Amino acid sequence: MKKLISLMLVLAVVTALLPGFSLAVSAQDQVEEVELKVFMSFPRFRDHFEEYFAEFREQEMREKNIDVKIKLEMPNPQNAEQILKTRLASNDAPDIFTLHAMADIPTFYEAGYLTDLSDEPFVDTLYESVKRTVTYDNKVVALPLESLAWGYLYNKEIFNELNLTPPQTLAEMKETIEVLKSNDHTPFLLSFKESWIPQLMMALSLGGVVNSEYPDFVVDMNNNQASYADVIEVFNIIDLIMENGTKKPFEVGSTAGSADFANGRAAMWVQGPWMAGSILEANPEMEIGVAPLPVSNNPEGTMINLSTSTSLAVSKNSKQKEVAYDLLNFILDQEKSSELFEKLKFNPISTVHDYQSFPWVEEAMSYASKGRAYQDLSIPGGVTDETAKLLQSYYVETVSKEEIIKSLDKAWKDSISK
Amino acid sequence: MKLSKSKKKKLIMLAFVMPALIFYTAFVLLPASGGFWYSLTNWNGLNPTYKMVGLSNYVEALTDDMYFINSLLFTLKFVFFMVLLQNTIALLLAVLVESRQKSKGLLRTIFFMPNMISMIIGGFIWMFIFTEVLPFIAANTIFKFLDQSWIGNPNFSFYAILIVSLWGGVGYIMLIYIAALQGVPNNLKEAARIDGANDFQIFRHITLPMILPAITVGIFVTLNSSFKVFDAVYALTGGGPGRSTQVIALNIFEEAFSMNNRYGYASAKAMILFTIVALITVVQLSLMKKREVEL
Repeated sequence: MKKLISLMLVLAVVTALLPGFSLAVSAQDQVEEVELKVFMSFPRFRDHFEEYFAEFREQEMREKNIDVKIKLEMPNPQNAEQILKTRLASNDAPDIFTLHAMADIPTFYEAGYLTDLSDEPFVDTLYESVKRTVTYDNKVVALPLESLAWGYLYNKEIFNELNLTPPQTLAEMKETIEVLKSNDHTPFLLSFKESWIPQLMMALSLGGVVNSEYPDFVVDMNNNQASYADVIEVFNIIDLIMENGTKKPFEVGSTAGSADFANGRAAMWVQGPWMAGSILEANPEMEIGVAPLPVSNNPEGTMINLSTSTSLAVSKNSKQKEVAYDLLNFILDQEKSSELFEKLKFNPISTVHDYQSFPWVEEAMSYASKGRAYQDLSIPGGVTDETAKLLQSYYVETVSKEEIIKSLDKAWKDSISK
Repeated sequence: MKLSKSKKKKLIMLAFVMPALIFYTAFVLLPASGGFWYSLTNWNGLNPTYKMVGLSNYVEALTDDMYFINSLLFTLKFVFFMVLLQNTIALLLAVLVESRQKSKGLLRTIFFMPNMISMIIGGFIWMFIFTEVLPFIAANTIFKFLDQSWIGNPNFSFYAILIVSLWGGVGYIMLIYIAALQGVPNNLKEAARIDGANDFQIFRHITLPMILPAITVGIFVTLNSSFKVFDAVYALTGGGPGRSTQVIALNIFEEAFSMNNRYGYASAKAMILFTIVALITVVQLSLMKKREVEL
């Protein structure tokens, strides 16, 4: 009996070793094995990227005889930043990681975690306006993935049915709201459960006010010579939205919000085209419109926000830089890239992209081509987070406008004195 | 070498706690002392370099940070209600469960069950109840008052958090009380009954003093856990709307991982929280130990 058991054990061990053994043999014909750790905050796109990386492996094998094992890590976007920072600080950096072009590049660059990518072939194909957003200290330090032409979303069906066009001034917005209300439509969808969503109102309205009336706001803030009191007009539209929104906003987050918006619970939603995927999932027939948010009675201030959010960077400490560069270049590959970006519903960012963009992107770009667009303001991350919290409190009336102004001024001061 | 009997006994005891002690040291004590070190710096959690700033983090937290003070007050309010309600309800449930003949095991399991679910998941379950079930009940029955913005209204979200925390925490304390109740000798109760005491008098003058050690433990555990409450609030309101339900742990978390990423400053706040919890529990233990009776 004992013999039998030990015999079986030996057999089991041998069979378990077999595949490893055969692998070791094949590795002998000079195939270099490389493990590449890729960290992306895109769990919703896991399938697309896995598929695309499989193609990359094939190409790398064919052309360079390198067997790339890609270890793909895709944490939830809410925690991704913390996980990434912990990994970087503990010297366990992934070779390639995603970061936010506007918010993260300065800090990450100063801390010395980014590699200069200026000489990579993909850089030459980037659109100039996009390239500027990933350039820091005169170096291109990231590959832009998501670029945005961004305004609030509206339900085209409701607007067409009532013969409405997107309002261009605050006064027109008030009329639009009245028309919507008299036809039993709630004008705005409020989804304040996640604090970054109310924050978007401030981002858009501040962008409009600053670019039309106070272009040096950010510079002056950084020199401690301005205050949010100078741009108090930003609250006009915020008040209007909050007064005419859906009830119980703190129970609705981005997912539930997409479903509500797709099903016509409200006519407008201060969100961004990045939600298009989940909105269309809830209602494939939905006609999404994107329009600039009016901030005053000057239509020139009603502008589309152009920015780059998620971008890919290569870690300075990566031991596999060559392969990492190959992967970045492959993401903007002449033949394959268009298909990937189209599937991800990202906007074209490079001359290699030749797909038809979405109707809402074209709508947003039509404002941009008339000069009614601006580059996203470079606001310190701490101020953005503070704004998010304060706007939630503002809705439940636990803070006043004056207190918001005071807190934001303080947050800005803190972040520059750091 | 010959060891004396008592020394040998101590060594054996030490050997038994050693595995736990090693893990505790590696994963709690060492990181905690690291945290103390960081609390004296201005590290932002990312930069490879940082400066020592002495005690200025502590000074700022206690004098110049309204959000921290507010979250401290909110946590104190939460702790007060939790200690009171959690122990009262747990004791009542324990007495109820003990008094049942047949369904004892079943009831014990049911009340203890929430303790086995992660509070994050529990929070999401209750989220559904607060946002979908209660408004539905309100719309279809006479309980109209249930239709509140349980999550979005700062006045109600405090109760929402309290309800979820009680739901998750009562079972554990109840088990402690059940064990204590079973240890109360029957002969004492019978003697009192012969002397003409009624049920309430027996409970008040015999059972309660006898289970006082368990109450000490129960209050200690609740104090400790409710000062550190994080997951229930995080899952339910995320500290919102704004910061109206922000507890200390959440405030520390946000200071370190969002906002301005002031890791060192957040560590200082964590040290302050540690000091407060340590002080209060030490006082509580020494006060209550004095009143305990031994048989």
